[in-house]
Amino acid sequence: MKYLIFDSGPIISLTMNGMLPIIEKLKEVFDGEFILTSQVKNEIVDRPMKIKRYKLEALRVMDLIDRGIFKMSSDIISPQKLNKEISRILKITNGVLRTVQTGEKIKIIHEGEASCLAFSNLSDSDNVIVIDERTTRLLTEAPQNLEKMMGKKLHTPIKAELSLLDGLKKFKFIRSAELLFVAYKKGLIPIKKNKDLLDALLYGVKFKGAAISSQEIEEMKKLV
Amino acid sequence: MKGSENILRILQETKLLVEKNNSFELKSLSDKTIRSATISQDADNIIVAVLVYSLGKVMEREHYKKMEGWNEFYNAVIKNLNLAIRSLKMGNIKNTRVYLGRIRNSLNKISGDLGRYIKDVFRKAEINKAFKLYEHGLSSEQTAELLGVSLWDLASYIGQSNIGDAKISISMPVKKRIKIAEDIFG
Repeated sequence: MKYLIFDSGPIISLTMNGMLPIIEKLKEVFDGEFILTSQVKNEIVDRPMKIKRYKLEALRVMDLIDRGIFKMSSDIISPQKLNKEISRILKITNGVLRTVQTGEKIKIIHEGEASCLAFSNLSDSDNVIVIDERTTRLLTEAPQNLEKMMGKKLHTPIKAELSLLDGLKKFKFIRSAELLFVAYKKGLIPIKKNKDLLDALLYGVKFKGAAISSQEIEEMKKLV
Repeated sequence: MKGSENILRILQETKLLVEKNNSFELKSLSDKTIRSATISQDADNIIVAVLVYSLGKVMEREHYKKMEGWNEFYNAVIKNLNLAIRSLKMGNIKNTRVYLGRIRNSLNKISGDLGRYIKDVFRKAEINKAFKLYEHGLSSEQTAELLGVSLWDLASYIGQSNIGDAKISISMPVKKRIKIAEDIFG
């Protein structure tokens, strides 16, 4: 069994681009489960259900859950176990960066993102996290970049205790852009396949919040 | 309330800048406020950052000043800023919060379109400040939570920025990440 663990960002960017049906098509060719944690569901279904502007999008995601395209993490790992791991991860990740001046810890990630990391850690199976936002990725893939970036933006020196991250295993991350790249290559997009389509798909998710650079998109286009 | 001395200074500057009609400096002051809010993540710091930015946006729109209800709004801003400053000097944080809240609540009493327009400025200011926190390095969900905004609102805002284009945001070569995606799909 393999797991693709979804954070809220990719579902939002795909929905906003009218690409939610592609998730269903990708599921058909995936030998495993697409996972949503309750913390992520809260961000993409429960909260937007109360906002008229996003209620329809919330209902469309809920439909994918109802039809089993997304499986809730609680079907695989008990909420108690997951919550315990979330707390552990939040304690680690939110203790990594401190201001040099006051020693104050900077809380950088939230329960939703932490729940994806927690599920990945607790799962015995091969898994990949689909996440569009950069902070969580930077934290485990290039924490020194995050330290440098925050120090520069905050105009105050930041001290990073990177050894704290040793306790977390190496996560594998992709973004909605890579998902669409796979869908494009597999011919799952119901539009005539050409380079314009790939360009449109990748820039579409970029403009709806996926942290991907134009340079990365141009490189991706050369890979097909 | 974390950094109440800093908040007091900001409120005093804000009042002066509103009186001087200096929208540019108000927005610049808000940027400085958001830096301390990123670290403290204290609700009061965030409320002040949103308030200062919103006032900057409102003050730059000259046509608002000719609309029905402008004088009521302006007077409510000055009056409540004065009261908030006085309360904070006396260490009365509870009242400071009440007076800052009254600035936004005063919009409910304004008849005509102005109240609705300024409410929209405040709502967009919340999204803008959430974006700023994300730009400063907090995760998107953490910022959405702190500002009480929807991730759906934030997504478009982030997408229209050039955050993703910063070299520092690239943590893995494109080919390697594509390989992860292709491997998991077999």
